Amino acid sequence: MKSYVMGIDFGSTTTKTVILDLKGKMVASCVASKGSISAEGVQVSMDGAFAQAGIAQKDIARTVSTGYGRRMIDVADQSYTEITCHARGAIAMFPEARLVIDIGGQDSKVIAVSGDGLVQQFAMNDRCAAGTGKFLEALARAVQVPVEAMGALAMSSTEKLTVSNMCATFAETEVISLLAEGKSKPDVLGAVHAAIASRTAGLVARVGNRNPIVMTGGVAKNHAAVHYIEQALSAKMLIAPDPQIAGALGAALFALDEVAKPSAAMMDEEDGADEAMSSARGCATQPCKTAAKLPANERPLLGPM
Amino acid sequence: MSIESILGTLEWTAENSLAAASQWKQASGRRIVGSFPMHFPGEMAHAAGCTPVILQESHEPITVGHGMIYPFYCGFTRSIVDQACKGDYDFLDAIMFGDHCVQVLGAADVVRAKLPNTRVHFYQLISSMSDPWSLGRARETFLNLKEGLEEMIGHSIDDEAMRASIRLFNRNRQMLRKLYEMRRAGDARLTARQMQILVKSSMIMDKAEHNRLLEELLAEFDKTRATAQRGVRVYLSGHFCQAPKTGVLDMIEECGGIVVDDDLYHGQRFISTDVDDSIDPLDALAKWYLERNLKVPCPTRVDQNADWENYLLDAMERSRADGMIVLMAKFCEPHMYYYPEIKEAFEKRGVPHLLIETEHELNSFEALRTRVETFLEVVKRQTAARRIAA
Ligand code: SF4
Repeated sequence: MKSYVMGIDFGSTTTKTVILDLKGKMVASCVASKGSISAEGVQVSMDGAFAQAGIAQKDIARTVSTGYGRRMIDVADQSYTEITCHARGAIAMFPEARLVIDIGGQDSKVIAVSGDGLVQQFAMNDRCAAGTGKFLEALARAVQVPVEAMGALAMSSTEKLTVSNMCATFAETEVISLLAEGKSKPDVLGAVHAAIASRTAGLVARVGNRNPIVMTGGVAKNHAAVHYIEQALSAKMLIAPDPQIAGALGAALFALDEVAKPSAAMMDEEDGADEAMSSARGCATQPCKTAAKLPANERPLLGPM
Repeated sequence: MSIESILGTLEWTAENSLAAASQWKQASGRRIVGSFPMHFPGEMAHAAGCTPVILQESHEPITVGHGMIYPFYCGFTRSIVDQACKGDYDFLDAIMFGDHCVQVLGAADVVRAKLPNTRVHFYQLISSMSDPWSLGRARETFLNLKEGLEEMIGHSIDDEAMRASIRLFNRNRQMLRKLYEMRRAGDARLTARQMQILVKSSMIMDKAEHNRLLEELLAEFDKTRATAQRGVRVYLSGHFCQAPKTGVLDMIEECGGIVVDDDLYHGQRFISTDVDDSIDPLDALAKWYLERNLKVPCPTRVDQNADWENYLLDAMERSRADGMIVLMAKFCEPHMYYYPEIKEAFEKRGVPHLLIETEHELNSFEALRTRVETFLEVVKRQTAARRIAA
């Protein structure tokens, strides 16, 4: 009996798997880190989730993949981008949230979402690792502290310093010169986290600030990053106990929709989508008479993303 | 020839513009006049017995050119300078420089300095398009250009030769527009890459030869029935002087978009307007120059009667596009200057659009793919949400 759905988020540094039963209850979640885009990581993460749930691949009714490697997963029936899935997952965790800040290993994104988890606007870094987990990792190395320890150290900073370069390589030079001036590791790390926060604030500005804000992704587990971002945005953020699995959860929820209502799957599988598109076509630029409007409090998809 | 082999020939020309031009020079014995985009009337060089070739951004990494031009110039100007420094333009008999933006002027200076023995025609077309004197000033500029060409070839260019070239070029534009029309209507299946190849090769190849191939192509398309395409209908806007990387175009279509129309220079902008062949050729060219800006407004020109954002909204409606992707070349000042107005107008109407900034150096599309795919997913899902709400 196929009575589960699975979401896999094949990210740049880790793979996350979430399994839900057909009522939407989470029965397993597993994060595996096996280096960049590793197929082995996917297997480890899936096996871990199967073991937790006490089930096997044959029990899975539908699988949706997301993340950088989303197209490389054979068992997936469908794939969506991590932006679409993170929005969905984050709203499932905190239905009241209207802005999602996701900072992962390789990219960071800010997503404005509607109450049903639909993406309205988004911005992401698309060139380099500035303001991502990679940036933190590189600088932890420069300061010679383990990545897991850097947040706690940064929280004990007493002097306000600035790291102005967003390029990890240049920032490393800056960090080294601060250390050479005799600045303490906690203060330097405080500046590193403040740098990531200012970058994030820039992305938020592109989308437009909204509240409440939920933060997902691996970096949300770093207290200092959360603290500095909250400071930069002058707002408290909602953080899930397991912020890394938001994308996989969103993917699993899409899989669930598609099992429950095959027409939802069709939305992205040719006919359904096409029919819907053509019935609304021509409405894009006109005050539309045939298609219904979005609810009054929801803005349509806008702007540069 | 089959559709594939015609497109194959044109693709080779589009991708190897200088090699194609120099082979043609050897085969035909004609002079090759290289020109900067975007306003030079090729028909004039053609009437002078030369082959006009629009200089293209190359795919090569910029190396020696770095020493001559700032890194914050657009990819097109940096690449042009780099090619000039590498000696790629040595075979050209003349270069026509227009001054449609500050960066192109900088590039022109370097090219001139690097090619002291190449004949250079410099022209400054009036950029204010709706003044009482605009037409007269444009005619004057074209007259100067004509005199320059006449000096180069050693005899005058007669009006009949001009009209013959105008007709040849009109025919070319008409056929390309027909192909656009067929794609929009779903009667010809042409990808964004193929459309670019068709227009870009026209900027390089001898027009009579190009026309011959387009005629064959149209005949082939008439024979075949195109199957309906599925996906999000996308309108592409932006990119002036350089062709967008074909990898970006492919990626958009791989993500589920169908490009149905554009206002790109390597697209509709180049072929939008014909030249009147019944009046004085210089009057006709001046008229063409002004009309063209009303057909597809150019952000490097100032025109009281043209409005790019309204043009885009109308064009999207005509082509029944579901969303617009704006391709903006990094550091392209005229585009950056106008973009906020477009953004505002599109937001006001609630038309989905995505801005992609492109770079000469950008070859990794993965992160870009995520953005494009999300954009297309969102357009689809919002449409579905509207349908359910209805
Ligand atoms: S108009 Fe834009 S692309 Fe063209 S030369 Fe000027 S800056 Fe470059």
